[in-house]
Amino acid sequence: MSRWLAVSFVVWSVAVASAESPFRGGVLEPPRLAPDFTLRAPDGREVRLSRLRGQVVALTFGYTFCPDVCPTTLAELAQVRARLAGDAKRLRVLFVTVDPERDSLERVRAYTNAFDSTFVGLTGTPERLASVRRAWGVTANKRVISGTSAAYLVDHSAFVYVIDPAGRLRLMFPFGTSIEDMTHDIKLLLGRTP
Amino acid sequence: MKILFATSLATVTLPLLAVLCASIGADVQQGAIALEGAWARRAPAMGAGGHGGTGHGAMTANGAVYVTLRNDGPMADTVVSAASDAAHTVELHETRNEGGVMMMRPVARLQVPAGGRLEMKPGGHHVMLLGLKHDLNPGETVTVTLTFEKAGALTVRAPVK
Repeated sequence: MSRWLAVSFVVWSVAVASAESPFRGGVLEPPRLAPDFTLRAPDGREVRLSRLRGQVVALTFGYTFCPDVCPTTLAELAQVRARLAGDAKRLRVLFVTVDPERDSLERVRAYTNAFDSTFVGLTGTPERLASVRRAWGVTANKRVISGTSAAYLVDHSAFVYVIDPAGRLRLMFPFGTSIEDMTHDIKLLLGRTP
Repeated sequence: MKILFATSLATVTLPLLAVLCASIGADVQQGAIALEGAWARRAPAMGAGGHGGTGHGAMTANGAVYVTLRNDGPMADTVVSAASDAAHTVELHETRNEGGVMMMRPVARLQVPAGGRLEMKPGGHHVMLLGLKHDLNPGETVTVTLTFEKAGALTVRAPVK
């Protein structure tokens, strides 16, 4: 299932360039319900994805020791939110850790707060997080690398997954998608004219 | 009148520009090498104390600085080390995108070709700060020193964004 999902993502993001789509990011066609999960937020609450209907959810995976890719994604999503102005409250950004061994709730909270206090960092048991990654076709591989003083690095998928207000997985933004394009697509999903 | 206006405009704007440039983190040049447009990504230090982010999961945080290296000389030059007062350990890293999976690895040396440039940017080359000593907040600056084989050590101030 997860392999099929991963393959269909790839095929589909290639198809996007030529497709007649109002969206600028990669479009999942046909839209299907986003794989559900329940994970823990820093305030101790359990967050269930399917309970977030009515808003657009931007979901991304990363870890708090990540200095380059994850902060870039979160900083860009913060700018997207700023551009949404009055609609910003209808965008929910979720950051799911791929490094539960080191990412405590407190670390995840401090990390996401540095970018936008409304962003929610999520964690869970290693087993639960692994099953979420499988369902989403997300790769995360812990690597002990020589030549760095970092204890280990985590190679991980860096897409932003976008879920529409009806709970359907609609878009994937590859790393490097412009803030303008992400804002454009999220406005469309919110029923606005970009 | 037009000339007078243009002159007075220049009198007002040029010093202003100079002040702006200085506050944004002036580019530096030494020998054939110039460092341009340095900036650091905001990062929380996670209440870091005296640990170095080294070894076995010390609970600290990391950051990244981006800068463009320009080589005006007829010979290639190479960055052999990096240092910063903001972190316990500083390394040169490169992130590569392998089919959507981002893989970050240390690089021992960074070569800038003769007459060429190397642009560090998110998702590419960066100066990696391991074990931040303090939060990197927008409005602050981080000092980074890159040592080149030929040009020697160049220090640049990188504003945090």
